[in-house]
Amino acid sequence: MSDISLTALRDLRRTRQKHRLGNLDWFEAAYRAYLWGGFGGGSILWISSSVKDGRVNESTAASVLQHGPAVLGLLVAIAFMAGIRGGAQGGPLALEAPDVAFVMLAPVDRRRALMRPATQRLRSALFAGALAGAIVGQLAGRRLPGSLVAWAAAGALYGATTAFVWVGTALLAHTLHVPRWVATLLGLAAVAWQSAAVAWHIPGPADTAGSLGLWGWRQHPVDLVAVGLGVVAVVTGFVLLRRISLDALARRSALVAQLRFAVTMQDLRTVILLRRQLNQEHTRHRPYVRLRPARSSHSGITGTVWRRGWYGLLRFPITRLLRMAALAIGMGVLQAAVVRGTTPAFLGTAVLGFVLGLEVMEPLSQEVDQADRADAIPYPRGEIMSRHLIAPAVALLPFAVVAGAAAAITLGGTTDAIVGAAILAYPTVLGAATGGVVSIVRDMPSPFSSSNQQAFMPPEMAGFTTTIRLVWPIVVSALTTCSVLLPRLALRHGDSTTAAAMRAALGVLLVVALTGYWVRVRDALRARIRAFMEEGRAYSSGQRSSAA
Amino acid sequence: MTASRPGVAALSTHRLSKDYGDRPALEPLDLEVPEGQHVALVGHNGSGKTTLLRMAAGLLDPSDGEVRIMGHPSGSLGARRSLSWLSDSPTFYDDLSLWEHLEYVARLHGVQDWNDKAEELLTRLQLSGRRDDVPTTFSRGLRQKAAIALGMVRPFDVLLVDEPFVGLDSNGKATLLELLDEAAAVGATLLVATHELAFVTRVTRLLALRDGAIVYDGPPADADVHSLVLPA
Repeated sequence: MSDISLTALRDLRRTRQKHRLGNLDWFEAAYRAYLWGGFGGGSILWISSSVKDGRVNESTAASVLQHGPAVLGLLVAIAFMAGIRGGAQGGPLALEAPDVAFVMLAPVDRRRALMRPATQRLRSALFAGALAGAIVGQLAGRRLPGSLVAWAAAGALYGATTAFVWVGTALLAHTLHVPRWVATLLGLAAVAWQSAAVAWHIPGPADTAGSLGLWGWRQHPVDLVAVGLGVVAVVTGFVLLRRISLDALARRSALVAQLRFAVTMQDLRTVILLRRQLNQEHTRHRPYVRLRPARSSHSGITGTVWRRGWYGLLRFPITRLLRMAALAIGMGVLQAAVVRGTTPAFLGTAVLGFVLGLEVMEPLSQEVDQADRADAIPYPRGEIMSRHLIAPAVALLPFAVVAGAAAAITLGGTTDAIVGAAILAYPTVLGAATGGVVSIVRDMPSPFSSSNQQAFMPPEMAGFTTTIRLVWPIVVSALTTCSVLLPRLALRHGDSTTAAAMRAALGVLLVVALTGYWVRVRDALRARIRAFMEEGRAYSSGQRSSAA
Repeated sequence: MTASRPGVAALSTHRLSKDYGDRPALEPLDLEVPEGQHVALVGHNGSGKTTLLRMAAGLLDPSDGEVRIMGHPSGSLGARRSLSWLSDSPTFYDDLSLWEHLEYVARLHGVQDWNDKAEELLTRLQLSGRRDDVPTTFSRGLRQKAAIALGMVRPFDVLLVDEPFVGLDSNGKATLLELLDEAAAVGATLLVATHELAFVTRVTRLLALRDGAIVYDGPPADADVHSLVLPA
């Protein structure tokens, strides 16, 4: 890079930073930090305080020591798979579109120009990994031998190593131009091998990285090899930055700008949609099964919407189906962890179920995205939207089987576990997915409200509604996933777990039914409330006129 | 103009092709555009014009084959030094004024005395009054003019332009034609993809693409341009 170009690049960055700082609304930034700090900190404290089941017994502790590295290594293997596949698909860097057009097409050394975005990517991944690791580490420290500080530090080290692995493999896969099928194969091989290590206690490729997570209790210096390998991968990736594909950068730049905007707007549905585009995940040209032409009995609105739902669902790409299956497995394992005593795990199940809901409710999402078309149909919108829930609800059945099997296997495959999983799996998966429904339908533009309404709210109220808006769908999911606490209670008291599971399933199905009803009558309810408010305003104004 | 290399084509492709899955966007293409030639690229929507230009600019990886700009592989340092690319959908930083954009682009390309050139371009494109505004707030036509200024403020041997007339008013179109003529007059090679058939009469060579393959390559006077831009 010539000195002039290098100076120009530095000057540009300085100028842009100056502009950004000048345009920053400091009060709003501080208020956002306060809200997030309060909410995030409160959540961590709440989760931490709810892990109070006391120290694990000796046999459990020995089991953690024996199997912990393999289990934690599985997450590292998954990070490896995500990194190598992401890199082969054009990740992990994302530049602004003008940077691609002006900087990357200028006669500058691309490696030096890309060093800053690459370092920023690594920094944010390290921060997120270390923070998440530290939080989980101090949770583990409440039940396992060792101090909380040591566990938090070990968790942070493990999280940071996972981040190194992710960024490093992504950079290497991208710069070495690893074909996508090779990346998928390598990633799957790593995950499969590590899964085998978890299941059959054979040595796994990520055991040493996983072992770092137990450093709060005991330390094996050999584990540092994993850190070294992660660092080497990142450094090699940085050295090879010149080989980054401009094609991928150009494609990602536009999507990433939209993605950042969607994240700012807390629009999770758009975030998921854009992430699919980033990963170049397209629906299939041909469906897995071609539906036969509609019979006359299917020509009603229910049949029409049902068929439309399956047209979309049968075009899901295999990668999305696999991801949904992985989410279902995660849900099953976490619910089993709740039964075993880790109560906050039901929140994890809720989040996974919520994401599964966003995935499977694609036909409903498409309808919400095409609001003008939906409004042009000569039926109340709620009638259409509620019918869009039916096909995805049926499509969730196989995923419920997967989740139930994962839970039953994790719980040792006892009769109680199998019966409980069989009763609760479908209601729980369906119930957790209703959070996704709430998120999608909530974002539907309403003909009765104005976007200006929130602009006139006092800041405290606006912040509160923003938080509620963000959290509400997850709360709905969590309401259903906490149902597993009933059979756990029955198990502890020696009562019938089958009866408890059935009671829990009924409760969940009630939440599902209420959500479906809400989708159906939401517009009508809002219209009624609005009419009531208008009536009240008209009455007050009449009173004032007569008093005058 | 940067230093030219005698005997080297300004733009050449060898077995260049692109496909998206099982859909070919550009059939294997061998093409040579000598220095100083003024080429119009025409074809129906989806015929492969933008794909060819983006591969030449180094913004799109070919499925096979290669592109060279002034003898340098597309996307290499030498190619980037010689080539100016004007996209059909220009992008801008949302925190830099038009003047700051011009300064930045000119300096990235090693131009030190850029002020006079930038001033002149803004005057001719009737953007002088907007120099301190952020171009992301501009209308479609003004954005196009801003992109033209950015493409022209730096030196180049080869100018690749994709649909430059879209959104421009009649004054803007006239100014752009003048600027293209001036660039051609000093020896730059121009490759302009356009649906503006009136422009085709001004060029020295016409290339017509249909469904990813070249169906005409010759002087515009001999071609029935209207039939060439129809899909098969």
